[in-house]
Amino acid sequence: MGGGHLSGTKVAIKDNICTKDMPTTCSSEMLRNFTPPFDATVVTLLHNSGAQIIGKTNCDEFGMGSLNIHSIHGPVVNPWKSFSPDDRPRSAGGSSGGSAAAVAAGLCDVSLGTDTGGSVRLPASYCGIVGLKPSYGLLSRWGVVSYSDSLDCVGVLARTVDDVQKVFMTLNHHDLKDPTSLPSSVRAKASNMLSVQTFSRWDGDSSSLSGLRIGIPQEYFPTEMQPSVLHPIRSLLKELRGLGATLVPVSLPSTSYALSAYYVIASAEASSNLARFTGVEYGTYVDPPPGADRTKAAHVYAYSRSKGFGREARKRILLGTYALSADAFDNYFLQAQRIRKLVKCDFDDIFAVPNVLSSFQSQATSQPKVDVLIHPSAIRTAPPLELVSDSLDAYVQDALTVPASLAGLPALSVPAGTADDGWPVGMSVVGQWGCDDLVIRVGEVVHAAAGNN
Amino acid sequence: MRFGWRLRRRLPHVRLFSTVTQGYTDSRWPGWEVVVGLEVHAQIKSRSKLFSNSLTSNPNEPPNTSVSPYDAAFPGTLPKLNPTCVDLTLRTAIALGSQVQRRSAFDRKHYFYADLPAGYQITQHYAPIATGGQLDLETRRTIRIKQIQIEQDTGKSAFDARRRASMIDLNRAGTGLMEIVSEPDMRSPEEAGVYLRTLQAILRSVGSSDGNMEQGSLRCDVNVSVNRVGEPPGTRCEIKNLNSVKFMQVAITCEIFRQIELLEKGEFVQQETRGFDEAAARTFSLRSKEDAPDYRYMPDPNLSPLLLDQSYVDRIRFTMPELPAKTRARLMSKGLTARDADVLMSVDAGREVGFDGQVGEGAVTYFDTVATGRDPKVVVNWITHDLLGQLTARNLTFKQNPVSTQQLADLIDLVQKGLITGTSAKTLLRRMLDQRTNALPSKLAEEMSLLALPADGDTGSSELEQWCREAMDVLPSETAAAKKGNTGVVNKLVGRVMRISRGRVNALKVKEVLESMLRD
Repeated sequence: MGGGHLSGTKVAIKDNICTKDMPTTCSSEMLRNFTPPFDATVVTLLHNSGAQIIGKTNCDEFGMGSLNIHSIHGPVVNPWKSFSPDDRPRSAGGSSGGSAAAVAAGLCDVSLGTDTGGSVRLPASYCGIVGLKPSYGLLSRWGVVSYSDSLDCVGVLARTVDDVQKVFMTLNHHDLKDPTSLPSSVRAKASNMLSVQTFSRWDGDSSSLSGLRIGIPQEYFPTEMQPSVLHPIRSLLKELRGLGATLVPVSLPSTSYALSAYYVIASAEASSNLARFTGVEYGTYVDPPPGADRTKAAHVYAYSRSKGFGREARKRILLGTYALSADAFDNYFLQAQRIRKLVKCDFDDIFAVPNVLSSFQSQATSQPKVDVLIHPSAIRTAPPLELVSDSLDAYVQDALTVPASLAGLPALSVPAGTADDGWPVGMSVVGQWGCDDLVIRVGEVVHAAAGNN
Repeated sequence: MRFGWRLRRRLPHVRLFSTVTQGYTDSRWPGWEVVVGLEVHAQIKSRSKLFSNSLTSNPNEPPNTSVSPYDAAFPGTLPKLNPTCVDLTLRTAIALGSQVQRRSAFDRKHYFYADLPAGYQITQHYAPIATGGQLDLETRRTIRIKQIQIEQDTGKSAFDARRRASMIDLNRAGTGLMEIVSEPDMRSPEEAGVYLRTLQAILRSVGSSDGNMEQGSLRCDVNVSVNRVGEPPGTRCEIKNLNSVKFMQVAITCEIFRQIELLEKGEFVQQETRGFDEAAARTFSLRSKEDAPDYRYMPDPNLSPLLLDQSYVDRIRFTMPELPAKTRARLMSKGLTARDADVLMSVDAGREVGFDGQVGEGAVTYFDTVATGRDPKVVVNWITHDLLGQLTARNLTFKQNPVSTQQLADLIDLVQKGLITGTSAKTLLRRMLDQRTNALPSKLAEEMSLLALPADGDTGSSELEQWCREAMDVLPSETAAAKKGNTGVVNKLVGRVMRISRGRVNALKVKEVLESMLRD
């Protein structure tokens, strides 16, 4: 490979990102033997910059899960070495659990994941590493197997913010093959807004946060949150204030509806995107047994789809199919889209930088304006694998990460110390759309500050 | 040349449409009124598919040779809208006087079928690209257009009975389609036929589709209902997938009789989707309203809404090829008769429709080129009488015409300047057709010694007089009769002179010289 600014960097790729020289299974029986005929754009960009792609990483099937337990390859075990007496294997988080674990265990320098509702940030938080979900529309999705197109983002995981930033810069280009990839003009506009609004007050200096306004959203400390994760968070906030940052309590009132809206939208799109898996053109095909009803294509496909999809994928396909049915569409799908708009408005109301993608400016509100938000990435530390189940708890893991996904905002989870159980706690820095640069720079300071704890 | 539909409009029963909408009944079903609406699917004549770079194909190509990973719905692929498909649909919308929507959007229509690899078709369910509009028929009736939407074509599947397997060909999958939906404004099977043919001609003239029903690039579904005169419209049935104008008309007729028979027995017409059995000439139930599938329409999350500003639409409008009605008016303003204009245009209708809006060169363009700086009436006579006649005699279509516009122009100029006679010109034309030469007629005329002798020059006169004498010597009895005043036989002598001169002399001049010699 020779030159290139990522020369010598070892990168692992989540197994729902297409690689033409390696299988891309999406952790699904459906694609167990599938090797795509092309590389994803992000893979091509890594190759071109001299990165060494060492392999593919485990994930929840098609990215559907928060604990990386729904996989034909088995669950991902969190490699964190805790000094706590509880040494039961814990979840690495999902769905990019393999990508996070590979970085945390030192198998590679950087990994690519995908984040639909928290699938990069949650595993980063559970494994004690850095994970970036960029603004929607910045990194190309060509070659990323769609789970929910309107939410899916390619994300970057590494042990340092610097490594994340280097790879992010490599991948941050407009791609004509992805219709949702935004042109350079829009990126430049957001960057200009950011310079005028924020960097005029805070110059990005890591030794001082003077001039930076950090919002602490009150809705991001729900009752389900483990009390023990609050200790490192409190001391971190104190540290940031000590660096000169202004901490501002803010409210994002639609947050409590975000999780349900997210599951309706993501499942609806999943039911549509996964309709292509029939085993006809590619993937696993199961012949109907003798005497089976072959009068309709759907009856024939049912055998392949029942065998090819795991429990969680089947559950979400059914949920999404229902949400799109004529009777449910208005009450579920359209209602969820309305909530999604409200969530976006919540964010636009509190950020000092205007949203370049919003056609109208938000109403003047009494809310104070902030440059970034900071909140815990998860409600708890990594749960022991033997305790996880299909219960509703698994879905609550995403409660703190889905709002930024619905709004398409950049969010970076950085390690913020450990909880009482000795397991890592992650803090998320969230910014206005296109303010990835700001989020990364603040994340760097937060990461350093947490190290001082 | 087929004048079938032009003649049909002169049939008296069709003319009734211009004056009657209510209370009109047909002698085939007295006391009943018929309501017909059409949904036409026309393949967009773009070089590449609607959302991928693979080329569009025709049905003769080997299966699965024009398929990209996107067309086969491989995971990780994404759609990319081909702007040419939008431009060509806009041409259609403008031609039909539809309102182009500033904002339209793409939706997914879900169903499982072997020829639909993604499990959904991308269409414009909630916000079509154009609404409203109308199509004026030759019968002076106007059919309103409801809407036009862009969507993907499916692949093709065929069952191989011997191997008991479904064969899937994805060449067609993802080709752009325009769905053009009419209001239920047609009142007979024949009127539906006129509508379909007129629409076909418009699509071809603007280059948005080749409208070829045999090749399947134009297909239609029809909605049919009947009601007793004076009563509101009845329950409609949809007949799917009709692939020729003739079968569509037969299918509608059969369906009308079926519905009337039910109602006359006191039964009801069920709202349902029906197929048409061409061999048995009857429609049959495919599925009832209760079995109608739930397509679970969803806005496509990959494709942002299509926003078209006025200047964009205007650019399409101002660069549109000429519409048939305008062409006819323009031709007639040049002094062509309605018949000449029709002949030119019906030949023109057979021209090749080019890809991506390139309008092929047909008979009208040919005429326009030759008529530049020449008398249009003379030019059209040469094209319709001589050139087309000779082509037909040789079993050639206009597309195969080897005579270039420069050649025909030169030929006409030679005649007009009196350098060759009409007879010689016809000989030259035949020669150009038979030998497929690129040489200009002026050159050929010289080679073949066909250049006419100057009608009034001195040099020519002596030679002409000599030929006249020759003719009079060969035909002594005719000469004698002529000298006695029998003017009728003079023409025979003229003919003889023409033969001797191999047509190089002007017949009028010959007659003049002969007459003066006969008087001597």
